[in-house]
Amino acid sequence: MIEVGTEPAPPDWPKAGDEIRAQNFGPFAREALARYAAVSGDDNPLHLDPNAARAARLAGPPVQGMLMLSCFEPLIMRWRRDLFIARLSGKFLRPVLAGEGIRVSGRVMRRRDVPRPELTLRLIARAQNNDLAILGEAAVLYKIPGPLS
Amino acid sequence: MKAAPNHAQSHDAMAPGPSEDAQVRLPPIRVRTGANEVAGFLRETGGARTGGFVPVTFPARWLALPAIRGLILQLIGGRGFLPVHEAQTFAYEHELRIEADYVLAVEARRTAKPPRLTLKMAVSTGQGEICAHLETVLRIVPLNLEPAS
Repeated sequence: MIEVGTEPAPPDWPKAGDEIRAQNFGPFAREALARYAAVSGDDNPLHLDPNAARAARLAGPPVQGMLMLSCFEPLIMRWRRDLFIARLSGKFLRPVLAGEGIRVSGRVMRRRDVPRPELTLRLIARAQNNDLAILGEAAVLYKIPGPLS
Repeated sequence: MKAAPNHAQSHDAMAPGPSEDAQVRLPPIRVRTGANEVAGFLRETGGARTGGFVPVTFPARWLALPAIRGLILQLIGGRGFLPVHEAQTFAYEHELRIEADYVLAVEARRTAKPPRLTLKMAVSTGQGEICAHLETVLRIVPLNLEPAS
């Protein structure tokens, strides 16, 4: 269990409009998709079998959406270590095909200080061709980072 | 839209036709945040920190549990259809801990128009304390099974 909300916001608590520096993830080779399938159990043939991808009218196997959505957590935690991600959501808008990478970025949309320090983040993952792949949002709360954070 | 029958029972006993709306609730499922599984998931998703925590998106792994996978396959209509991830939400009351046991409550709702399958999962401790809610929206895509010419 984590305790949040008992501390006031620190002096450098972000404000609306602050940017989260973009980071690149991938490229996600087919081997990376297979490894993610192994650790996540998401072995939907769509992501692993070019024939299944073609049958779904895709040019190649798409990267698992959850693999890309998972990149938002390291993006956020490299930005600040003193956060608890209370909510993370994403809409998968465009497929990113195996062999491609994504560029992930974010922006503070809203800041609240009471009853507890909280930020609402807009998160974006773009494909190599700059197509919007995932439109995401997170609610993060202030927490004092622990030794392993 | 047709009223969705509420099948609060094992999915084995439920076999709606592919054009029907349907709602199914599974019996509670016990899950565990095993350290090896968490480490593997973190490794393949660009984990930022040194470990010792459960990634926000880790519970998506439980979508691959046999009972849930079977439910998904049954509700999308079986062979000839693929589930494509359209949206995902994780909402946390408390962080999950490594090497801890939890209970999953799973409810699935399929709509024919539009063809979607929505899974809602609640993760709670054995004492009934809710830790997280997940919502998964899958688009049901018919496969083009004609052989390539």
